[in-house]
Amino acid sequence: MTTRRFIVEPRGLASVRLSLLIPLISVLAALIVGGLFLALTGENPFSVYQHMVDAAFGSSRGVSETLISATPLILTGLAAAVAFKMLVWNIGAEGQFLLGAIFSSGIAIAMGDGAPAALVIPVVIVAGGIGGALWAGIAAIPRVYLGVNEIITTLMLNFIALNLMNYLIFGSSSPWRDPEVSTFPTGRPIPDSGRFPEFFNRLDLSFIIAVALALLAWYLVGKTRWGFEVRVVGDSADTARYAGISVPKKILGVFLLSGAFAGLAGGLYVAGPVGALDPRSLDLGLGFTGIIVAALARLNPVAVIPVAILMGALNNAGPSLQSIGVPPEIVLMLQGAILIFAVGGEFFIANRIRPREKVLEELSEEVEAA
Amino acid sequence: MNDSQLILTMFAAIGLGTPLIFATVGEIITERAGILNLGVQGMMLVGAVSGFWATFETGSLTLGVVVAMIAGAVFSLIHAFASITLRVSQIVSGLALTIFGTGLASFLGKAGSDPLVGEPSRETFEPLITGGIADWPVVGPLLFGHDLMVYVALVVAGAASYYLFRTRMGLSLRAVGEEPASAESAGVNVAWVRYAHVMVGGALAGLGGAYYSLALSPTWQDNPIGEAGWIAIALVILASWRPWRAIFAAYLFGAAVRIQFTLQTLGSPWSDVPSSLLAMLPFILAIVAMLALTSGKRARLLGAPAALGVPYFREER
Repeated sequence: MTTRRFIVEPRGLASVRLSLLIPLISVLAALIVGGLFLALTGENPFSVYQHMVDAAFGSSRGVSETLISATPLILTGLAAAVAFKMLVWNIGAEGQFLLGAIFSSGIAIAMGDGAPAALVIPVVIVAGGIGGALWAGIAAIPRVYLGVNEIITTLMLNFIALNLMNYLIFGSSSPWRDPEVSTFPTGRPIPDSGRFPEFFNRLDLSFIIAVALALLAWYLVGKTRWGFEVRVVGDSADTARYAGISVPKKILGVFLLSGAFAGLAGGLYVAGPVGALDPRSLDLGLGFTGIIVAALARLNPVAVIPVAILMGALNNAGPSLQSIGVPPEIVLMLQGAILIFAVGGEFFIANRIRPREKVLEELSEEVEAA
Repeated sequence: MNDSQLILTMFAAIGLGTPLIFATVGEIITERAGILNLGVQGMMLVGAVSGFWATFETGSLTLGVVVAMIAGAVFSLIHAFASITLRVSQIVSGLALTIFGTGLASFLGKAGSDPLVGEPSRETFEPLITGGIADWPVVGPLLFGHDLMVYVALVVAGAASYYLFRTRMGLSLRAVGEEPASAESAGVNVAWVRYAHVMVGGALAGLGGAYYSLALSPTWQDNPIGEAGWIAIALVILASWRPWRAIFAAYLFGAAVRIQFTLQTLGSPWSDVPSSLLAMLPFILAIVAMLALTSGKRARLLGAPAALGVPYFREER
């Protein structure tokens, strides 16, 4: 066998500097890849990127729309972050998001315009979380009690949820469908009592709630006994069992919490900026984008906030590119590339690569010293 | 439903199932090597756009198919590198492939001064035989009325079954997916085998994608494949990791898609069945299959590779 010129060794605990540097490099590398494709198709990457920055942050309206786009991503990012940290591969945030939206809009419509906003708004929020958690439960319970792999079940549930929403709006005359519009069906507007108050252009309360939930998640996972036990299970299920922690219960709890975050994302989004169960505004892949957010935030609930704002900025800037003749899908490419580099970067955070000679030198020095 | 409608539905089901056979067999081969690739959707879209482009530029269907397969295989290398060499999360890396590929295909279709979007394909796959035996009642169209790729898909599925279960290479491949450490000690290069079969999966996904843009809907549009890549991942389970079973799973799914249109033509009450509920069926079936067949120890009987999704470390520390 040939001898290798480089040696890969696990690094142990990664430095703070590195875990900030690698995500930054990932974004930069993705911008370079995107820039190459832009240049190949005859665009000037710098002016395209400049245009995107202006659209996302150049005006007070731009900033508020960026934060609106970021709000559901904070929550779907949290959904992925808490689950992946425990090696629960919930890739069904997309479906849980939609169920949250269906539950929240449903309860708001059912309560009608007469109920006071102070009652309706909390109910709408909780309903979203419950919808997401229930949908996650369909995959979580078989995973925990029967050992059924959750990757495929959560993935498939996304498409069932999507078709369920389409059925409610396009395939039936459900209470979610707007009875006033018959030509091209759309969602029934949520009564004003269920809508969130706006405070900065169109930006509403849901952004504040999302940020508060991120801080709460950080506290829950980082500072409580429950969070500590969850982290032990994530590191090693055997250690957890030895320490007397109930592993199935912890996995179930995390799975449902993850679903609840995704459901909250959907609930806050319909009761906030969208205002109806509108398939065209909800089927945007926000659940999958949450996985990008979580990966780039390295599963840290607080880091999810700035990363979600970055992704929200990209989503917000995308449509404006049409005015300069650039396909808005460059945004999806950039996000995909960011995820590729971020996940690849995990290798360099976890491992150290050094030339063989240097490792050998160090070893011989150690031997001499001994 | 009268006879001609039944035959039309079955005929269409075979066409609609064909790209799914390619993608499903490709994913089965990849998963048999122990690598889960959730990038099928992305690889299919990259194949669809590159195959369409190559045929559009040259007028050659053969070149379109070859370019689509090469593009799919090269694109899958990203996932192979991340999951085999870097050993990072296969799930996240596969999803990244899908997100990037989806964006890339749309971008390439729209970019430039003379974009592909809205352009019809210069050549499309046509039925091999017209008239003669293809006109025989019932069996004529069903057996002989298809284009070349329908038969190629059957050959690919059959060859993949033979390869997996009847050849030495196939045995090594399955060993790598079941017990990579034992395979390594028996002299199999685990990394090499995994790289090769991720690329085979990528090539077949690319081919499946190109069948959409060159046969099923031969005008370039943003997403010509719908959710085919995700459906292929479901069909792998329904086929219980056996290529020849993928044929039936794919045709069955093709029928489920086609029946939505057939029902519309039959009038009330058939046309009242909401298409969105029918569209759920394959996904519900996949979940039921997962629950019924992969819970607990029975997963091993079904054929799911034991080391699926588990990174392999050559020197265990």
